[in-house]
Amino acid sequence: MAEELPGAWFGFGFCGFGQALGSGRARRVLSPEPLRAPGAGLDVYRVSASWSYTAFVSRGGRLELAGAAGGAAGGCRDAWASEALLVLLRAGPGPEPGAELQAWAPGSALRGEPLWVHTVEAEAEGDDGPGGKPQAGPLPLLPCARAYVSPRPPFYRPLAPGLRARRLELGAEHALLLDEAGQVFSWGGGRHGQLGHGTLEAELEPRPLEALQGLPMAEVAAGGWHSVSVSETGDVYIWGWNESGQLALPTRSLAEDGKTVAGEAAGLHEGGPDVKSTAGGEDGAPTPFIAVQPFPALLDLPRGSEAVKASCGSRHTAVVTRTGELYTWGWGKYGQLGHKDTSSWDRPCRVEYFVERQLQPFLFSADQTNQKVIWEKNQTPQYIFLK
Amino acid sequence: MAEDINRDPLAGAGALWEALLALLPRTKEELKLDLSEKVERSVVMLLQEATELFYGGRRNECLQTSEAVLDYSWEKLNTGPWQDVDKDWRRVYAFGCLLKAACLCEASEDATTVAAALKVCDMGLLMGAAILGDILIKVAAILQTHLLSRKRPAQGPTQEQPSTKKARNEHVSIPDMKSERTVPRLHCPSLQYFRKHFLVPERPVILEGVADHWPCMKKWSLEYIQEVAGCRTVPVEVGSRYTDEEWSQTLMTVNEFISKYIVDEPRDVGYLAQHQLFDQIPELKQDISIPDYCCLGDGEEDEITINAWFGPQGTVSPLHQDPQQNLLVQVIGRKYIRLYSPQESEALYPHDTHLLHNTSQVGVRGTQCDMADSPPPHPVSGDQVGDLCFPQVDVEHPDLEKFPQFAEAPFLSCILSPGEVLFIPVKYWHYVRALDLSFSVSFWWS
Repeated sequence: MAEELPGAWFGFGFCGFGQALGSGRARRVLSPEPLRAPGAGLDVYRVSASWSYTAFVSRGGRLELAGAAGGAAGGCRDAWASEALLVLLRAGPGPEPGAELQAWAPGSALRGEPLWVHTVEAEAEGDDGPGGKPQAGPLPLLPCARAYVSPRPPFYRPLAPGLRARRLELGAEHALLLDEAGQVFSWGGGRHGQLGHGTLEAELEPRPLEALQGLPMAEVAAGGWHSVSVSETGDVYIWGWNESGQLALPTRSLAEDGKTVAGEAAGLHEGGPDVKSTAGGEDGAPTPFIAVQPFPALLDLPRGSEAVKASCGSRHTAVVTRTGELYTWGWGKYGQLGHKDTSSWDRPCRVEYFVERQLQPFLFSADQTNQKVIWEKNQTPQYIFLK
Repeated sequence: MAEDINRDPLAGAGALWEALLALLPRTKEELKLDLSEKVERSVVMLLQEATELFYGGRRNECLQTSEAVLDYSWEKLNTGPWQDVDKDWRRVYAFGCLLKAACLCEASEDATTVAAALKVCDMGLLMGAAILGDILIKVAAILQTHLLSRKRPAQGPTQEQPSTKKARNEHVSIPDMKSERTVPRLHCPSLQYFRKHFLVPERPVILEGVADHWPCMKKWSLEYIQEVAGCRTVPVEVGSRYTDEEWSQTLMTVNEFISKYIVDEPRDVGYLAQHQLFDQIPELKQDISIPDYCCLGDGEEDEITINAWFGPQGTVSPLHQDPQQNLLVQVIGRKYIRLYSPQESEALYPHDTHLLHNTSQVGVRGTQCDMADSPPPHPVSGDQVGDLCFPQVDVEHPDLEKFPQFAEAPFLSCILSPGEVLFIPVKYWHYVRALDLSFSVSFWWS
């Protein structure tokens, strides 16, 4: 049975539409701020952020939208916000335990009729969550885990029967799936190496990542064009596009700005303006820049930390560790890294805001009802639930 | 004028600003975005907000808003194959560039700012699509004129051109062509003759006397190119050949390209290749014409793709084929070119794949490159996306153990000199190496 955990939400990043972050209409929020969800006292347990608006779902089933899209509704168990489509999982119309999937145009303010509706069958046997309610896998994966929602038609996409999906994440052109056994699958466009199969070829059907076979994964996350998975032992694997350092690998664009920190990771603020060209390794050989990493690379977090959860924006990555620290890296122009500035980083940097206040981003695994770190696919606000 | 400043939010000092304002619609109502439903409502809202801020004289806020529009639309431009990117997203990007460039110039008219604004225009031209009657070209022209009139210290050398007797030429290997079958040459054939004997049977030929009187043949020099295009931003390929691991694409001004990759013993090979320079800089287009033979095709004249190929001695285009007919006009320097018929394809060992590069993500001048401000991928040089063919064999240094059939494959070759035009039939495999500093213009038509 789920406890009523006290906690707070914090947000930072792009806020050009007033998406209910702390400081009103500032266009970007560079450091975490306590979230003021619309409707004071709304006990928010799920937040889904799109580029221009955010959806909040409370434990009482109330949905509130903020930003470029507005509106509210009841009876919601889950919400998934994207620019093209707002997808809601609502209690079914009849007495049966099924649920109804609804897709709305964000601009509709939830008035009128949804664009389409799909009845979702009740979850498979024995998966009931706390309180006897059917367990909802976070959208875009449907509760039955046999299909998922896409922001582009066809909206309802069944998964192959043999796949037992635990979690599914969508990037700009690709999809990641984590199954019950901890195996990662990917499919979709691969032009930036985001599928992790070692090529730039697209895959039409879910294909298992051979490089990760035998390493049970606990989490997956998809950015715009990159992918992250976290193993049960806390290791982070990352692959795809690195144009802003979102893979924590040396990137040319940051080197030219004097900001790359290739090579040894020393202090947090290494890499001054004299780092113009390739940074040197210890033997003076130039470190190659990586623009695309087509198969998983193991990422070392500072201090040997173990990761428990990962999440991605379109071009940045965040990881929460077992000891409750938040690390972010990649594109930072809108403050989405939470480091009080607009720098991009090509290596993990700790978000000091939480350390300074002795707050611990708290992690639950993805299939429980409390969402941890939610990122949007774009330059985006991020929301962190704290214990 | 002083009394206007309090009333007109757009009033600003400076002739440049006045000239730019004259190009733009006078009011925000007259600035028609005209975007389809493919563009998300939130983006349209943001873009409208940006134009309101602009016409309201709130420059800093307009800059921020335009930046957000640019960043969001840039991500759309990088989603999926370039051919599939909706044109309206490119127009959104172009609108963002227009507003950003204008805002920059309102603030200041010094050379650095204007150069930055010009770069923004060039990004809009490279990655965007036409808006408001090709306004970005007109804005770029004004900015360029302003920059030149200020006699900014040149970013590249303006004095001497490298003479053809430069030491580097000693290392160029002119192929020994005695044993090679050469491409036939014709002087000004009639259209019918050309069609009957070369276009229809798909045979290469060099046409003489066709382009040798074009203005470019006399006018173009390093100096002239720097004058006309020096401060403009263009995509440059760096690396010996695009099949190499270290190959990458980057953006720089023409002046930077010349100073870094043409003069002064460059360390790497840089090539301004397969770029529609003449759409970007209309002034250069006036120095060339469209060969009459292009009208023998089915397509319209405005569907002909004109590309510039400008680089130092030693640039190599590995063996490849194009999906259209090609007339290659040589303007500066000579190129060694080898041609294999599509019937010999097997002996060339092609394979279907996207190239994987350590430092850039590319698929033969076909797909995206890796920079944050990447220019649009070049049109796929080869078949359609998903069917890219790379002969693995190196034409001038073939590994005959690995590729035994290659030794027997018949081919034609030539050294193409200034004033000459080479007809490369559709799908004909071709390999090109520049023997000198070279500028070629290619016309792709169907």
